Amino acid sequence: MTRPGLVISRISRVLSDYENLSALYALLVVGGVIIGIVTLPFIGYDDDQLYPKTLDPSSSLHPYDRGGEPFGTTDVAAQYPENSPYLGYVTAYLTPFSAFLADSTMHLGTTIVSHPGGITDEILYNTRGLDTVVETSILFVAFAIAAYLFRREE
Amino acid sequence: MFNLPVTNIGGSELFVLEFGDIVNYFSVYTAALFAFALIFTALAIVSRPEKMVDIAFGGDAYYTKEIDPGLLRFQRFMAIACGLATLGAVVSGDVFNFTLFVSMVGITNIGIVAAYKNKHVLNAAFQYGIVAMLATVPLFGGAAIVLATTGTLSLWELYTAAVAVPLIAKIFLVLGVMGEGMAPFYIAKAEITRAQGAPFILMVHVSSLLVFLRVVEIVISM
Amino acid sequence: MDQVYVLGLLVVFAGVLIGFYALMRERDDLHRILLTDLAEILALALIALVATDLAEALILPGLVVGISELLAVSEVYLAKEDLRTPPTAPPFRIEVMESAPGIMALILVAYGIILSGFTGGAVAAVGAIFYFLCRGQNEQFAIIETVSGYAWVFWIGAFFIFMLLPAYWFFAVMIAGGAILVKVMAKMSLIGTMRGGEHV
Repeated sequence: MTRPGLVISRISRVLSDYENLSALYALLVVGGVIIGIVTLPFIGYDDDQLYPKTLDPSSSLHPYDRGGEPFGTTDVAAQYPENSPYLGYVTAYLTPFSAFLADSTMHLGTTIVSHPGGITDEILYNTRGLDTVVETSILFVAFAIAAYLFRREE
Repeated sequence: MFNLPVTNIGGSELFVLEFGDIVNYFSVYTAALFAFALIFTALAIVSRPEKMVDIAFGGDAYYTKEIDPGLLRFQRFMAIACGLATLGAVVSGDVFNFTLFVSMVGITNIGIVAAYKNKHVLNAAFQYGIVAMLATVPLFGGAAIVLATTGTLSLWELYTAAVAVPLIAKIFLVLGVMGEGMAPFYIAKAEITRAQGAPFILMVHVSSLLVFLRVVEIVISM
Repeated sequence: MDQVYVLGLLVVFAGVLIGFYALMRERDDLHRILLTDLAEILALALIALVATDLAEALILPGLVVGISELLAVSEVYLAKEDLRTPPTAPPFRIEVMESAPGIMALILVAYGIILSGFTGGAVAAVGAIFYFLCRGQNEQFAIIETVSGYAWVFWIGAFFIFMLLPAYWFFAVMIAGGAILVKVMAKMSLIGTMRGGEHV
């Protein structure tokens, strides 16, 4: 590192070592974030969002309550509702057991695994289904890599 | 129903593929990238790997390198997956979907190079893997900032003149694609290409080039 | 809302600065993995700042991508550093594991199939792990891996039925429910038996 040379040859010596790769990338991102902090006053939140979240503390499904009725129509602010003919069909669906819990306790909403995600299912499996396809493909590929490297030793 | 608002880079759209909120499009530009990716995926499917020959310096002794069929099968699988991810990324009509496809390109690239037992190559693959993991931060961060500041992820809306995307979101998207596709980090690639198995290694380069061309189109248009 | 968002963004940016500055200084590869894993949380924080139902749904892919890259990269790290010493002593050996009836595994798997979907997969996986723990596994890994791969294909196929032929949604639900069951079951039992060596 401390060998003499022109500035440019010293820089290229650092760059040519792949051990420095993540440090170099981190430097780039830090530079980007500094630009981001400088331009922060020009960033504003857009109030006209897709799938907005409404909170109703009196509901037993509290943070996940989407209103509407199962297998009926529920208003969902999708980007292109015309592309999803079954939009809002399962948004309010609860399994019988979850429906029983929702009727008898106020705390069903504190657990997301106890019942289908409602709007989350609607987004992940209906309107943005391609995201889920890619997501599971990534998991599958990562799993294939890990399994291959693991199994090769045997 | 759908009309591409910006036509000065990609040309007008030729074909629209609707997946709910995600509406993919083929313009002249993206269709050309798609065709490229398709050709190289087909090459990865049909091609046979090169057989490397090492020649001892100063003598006439040479030996051919052994190619493990298991390794070959795995690499072919990864190269095809990488090609499919590239196909998705170049025609995606949604910012978040695009970032997901780009992450998939990154992880399949790790897979292609990580299969070797060569210490040098593995080390380079590991460093590359760290960068690919880091790159998800600006990548998803960029998409999230786009969503928060414009209220939409669809490129069809973002391309209209009325919607302004902040500079930092664009910087983050480009940085993310750089990290996943390794476009400017050719040092690591030089190490990686020491490994044998040319057609599959080639996929690493082709995919990163194509996704980089695509992100340039996205960033300029929005 | 505007001010809250900008303030939150400022905090996350500060976090990114700290995290990535640490990565600039770090030379040790294992620490790099750990720092990277921490840094990925910042991406989730950026998504969460959007604060809509859509953001809630987008966190899931973000999280999964992070986890799967971690899975692959740490396996590369293990290969690179040659950390391959198999466990010398079995991690735990309880008397009941020799004598437990195999039918328990079958019951768990059957109950998982009745539950179906993700939860069912988890329950059935416990049954499968139970079986392998008690009986020992040899050469099963490749088979389960293949089964998991085919289940994944079915699941993805069901998704495309949802998107392209929504009229056949019931058919797709049935395929997806069955396939995710098999998929989750296979993966969990694989991960459960992965690091055990010869005699788990």
